[in-house]
Amino acid sequence: MKFKTFGAACAVSLGLATTAFAEYPERPINMVIPYGAGGATDISARTIAEPLNNAVGRPLVMANVTGAGGATGSVAVQNAKADGYTMLFARVGSHSVNPAMKATLPYTLEDFRFVTVYEINPVACAVSPNSGITSMDELIARVAEGGVTYSSSGVGSLLHIAAVMVLSEFGVTDPLTQTTHIPQKGGGAAATAVLNGTATFLCTNSSALASFVANKQLVPLMVTTAEPVPGFDAPTAADLGKPALHQLVGWTGIAGPDDLPDDVADKWGEWMATATADEEFLDKMTSRGSVIELMDPVRANEFIQGQYETFRKLVDDLGMRIEG
Amino acid sequence: MSFMDSIAAGLSLVGNVESFLALFVGVAIGTIGGAIPGMSATMAVALTLPFTFAMQPITGILLLLGVYKGGIFGGSIPAILIKTPGTPASSATILDGYPMAEKGEAGRALGMALWASCTADVISNLALILFAGWLASFALSFGPPEFFTLILFSLTIIAGVSGTSLLRGALSALLGLLLATIGLDLVYGTNRFTFGDPNMMGGLNFIAVLIGLFAIPEILAMVWNPTAHVGTARSLGNNRVTFADYRRCFKSIVRGSFIGVFLGSIPGIGAAPSAFLSYSEARRTSKNRDNFGKGEVEGVAASEAGNNGVAGATLIPLLALGVPGDVITAIIIGAFMIHGLQPGPMMFILNVDIIYGLFIGLIVSSFFLFIVGTVAIRGFKYVADIPKRILIPAVLVLCIYGVFAVNNNIFDVGVMFAMGWVGYLMVRYQVPAAPFLIAFILGPLLEDNFRQSMLMSGSDPLILFRGPITWFFWLLTVITVIAIVRAGVRAVRGIPLGGGP
Repeated sequence: MKFKTFGAACAVSLGLATTAFAEYPERPINMVIPYGAGGATDISARTIAEPLNNAVGRPLVMANVTGAGGATGSVAVQNAKADGYTMLFARVGSHSVNPAMKATLPYTLEDFRFVTVYEINPVACAVSPNSGITSMDELIARVAEGGVTYSSSGVGSLLHIAAVMVLSEFGVTDPLTQTTHIPQKGGGAAATAVLNGTATFLCTNSSALASFVANKQLVPLMVTTAEPVPGFDAPTAADLGKPALHQLVGWTGIAGPDDLPDDVADKWGEWMATATADEEFLDKMTSRGSVIELMDPVRANEFIQGQYETFRKLVDDLGMRIEG
Repeated sequence: MSFMDSIAAGLSLVGNVESFLALFVGVAIGTIGGAIPGMSATMAVALTLPFTFAMQPITGILLLLGVYKGGIFGGSIPAILIKTPGTPASSATILDGYPMAEKGEAGRALGMALWASCTADVISNLALILFAGWLASFALSFGPPEFFTLILFSLTIIAGVSGTSLLRGALSALLGLLLATIGLDLVYGTNRFTFGDPNMMGGLNFIAVLIGLFAIPEILAMVWNPTAHVGTARSLGNNRVTFADYRRCFKSIVRGSFIGVFLGSIPGIGAAPSAFLSYSEARRTSKNRDNFGKGEVEGVAASEAGNNGVAGATLIPLLALGVPGDVITAIIIGAFMIHGLQPGPMMFILNVDIIYGLFIGLIVSSFFLFIVGTVAIRGFKYVADIPKRILIPAVLVLCIYGVFAVNNNIFDVGVMFAMGWVGYLMVRYQVPAAPFLIAFILGPLLEDNFRQSMLMSGSDPLILFRGPITWFFWLLTVITVIAIVRAGVRAVRGIPLGGGP
């Protein structure tokens, strides 16, 4: 209390006193984006920033803290004070795939308290038209012949596990030896690798493939959702009888350090409800192929845990865990 | 739609005050942003991005392109004046720009940087407009093996920027390669030299290394010997660039521009290697090659042409294929997508007005760059007049702030200071810094592409000789290595260098 009175005195003396100072948030909130500017997480974060800003009533300071597949930014929030002034845009790669794959990751899922997951992106698999492959069955047949490769945005990324999981679901018994993973330095490079014939196929968020599919530079083979994805003339996982692949989706959520107080989490619940109802936000996101689905903390946690366990099982079954 | 119709459609889209104002403001923001040490062109574009959300698509994209072009040029200002590259792309400009400033020719170096940048900009934009389709299909034939041979050839630059001793240059390059291995292994995802520190998992921050290596040693030297500069205050001198200078450097500028266009159109390389390659080619073929590294105006011209030549050409894969060519165009593609535009072949059919609007805007941007650049030089060149004891602490503050702001990470500031000591020792023992930097940039590219090639072929090295492109670069590498060895042998025997080709 002493500190608060001191703070109030300072604020008054600076002429900045407001009536709301005692209530969270009384100053701008730092929002860490653990991936680079222009990427899927960044675009999603910056699109919600505007309606969120209006809901919060305090500025949100967006900072890209990049490196190590989202780990650097995640660690920054893990180690931050749990006062609700440092929050993270968590992503499927940093908080589902990475924890499942990497033994040496400096954080676990328990180090974070999720306040929401607000966006789901379908995953789609695609090949180059030059490959002559037009369906998943043909791709799997090609795997048996040998020489099939897939690209990703790096070891431990969604793209990496997506390709392995899809192959495994389609009955390829040992995808790690029957196909070759050719990691790239980012999602854009991964798509380029399929475009120029370096890799046979990739599975990634539909939004990253949308323009290549619309331009007929890449052919979609399947989407992992139950519902068809607009613009993707490809069967769904349900059509192909692989409902287990429904777990394979991208998402964006917001998290704080694990000891984030309840009242802060509740506030975020209110703000997100207002922000995600914004018409313009909905328009922008859905036009990029995202599905806006606001989850409360409990539901978000279940969803992420479910994904984590699915991936973890796959990783253990195939011996993909990275120990070094 | 005919060509004229397309141009008319483009004009109707950009032919308003708002668009040109956005472009002009963009160039100005970029130039200032690029001129602040640590605030790279990439950061300037990333910071501008949110402001474009509310604009018309074409206005927003023109603003970003303006920032990009201004940023690449702006970086040369502190590179020349205070030996601190404002942006990685201008690290090659230091080699001759700073010695020129020391000699009291800061104005001449800045003028040449501007003229070379604008010329390269025009050539790069014209290449985009005329050859986008052709160059894009060429760029698509670059897979990992082609990349590997290109990078291998590029590494021969190290011999050209090693100064007097190739051995010291090689040592410096080895150090650069070593530090570049810090981070996550590409193929296995395991930690390399991270010592369990999550901050090291992403590798050492490039800007922190760059600024640490070049700017901090100057500051340390000043701390060591605070009065060394007293009495040797440098003047701006006879500091106008002349048309004769420009004519003399014209060949290097054009060559640098084409190197920029070529490397820019291939996704994944960027402006810094292009500037170094252009510099090294200019040095190799110049009559004044002995003067390179000691304040040769042609060196400034070549490096600035090399980096600005990239700025238009990176839009070739972006517009023609929908593939970002470097980090900055990756941000710009985000801006396209936010506005619901999908770059790629279909855009040339569906949004031809936007494509031609961008083309028109780009042509105008070179002109704006010239105006803004001229004003900026006039403003910034007084930096050279500021007494060092005031300037140096101010530079230190800017460096710390800039490096921190790249990733909002205090660890990077520590890296900067550590690299500063490395750089200081390198200066003391006459180990050149440029090979370090080149190896730091190119080493990981070489390694990644080699390993990707091996993955593709199942470890058959023959894949490195597939197709005419790989053969071409192997041939270039062999020729260059032979030339270096020959020059070395001649130097040992005491035959003057100028005689040979």
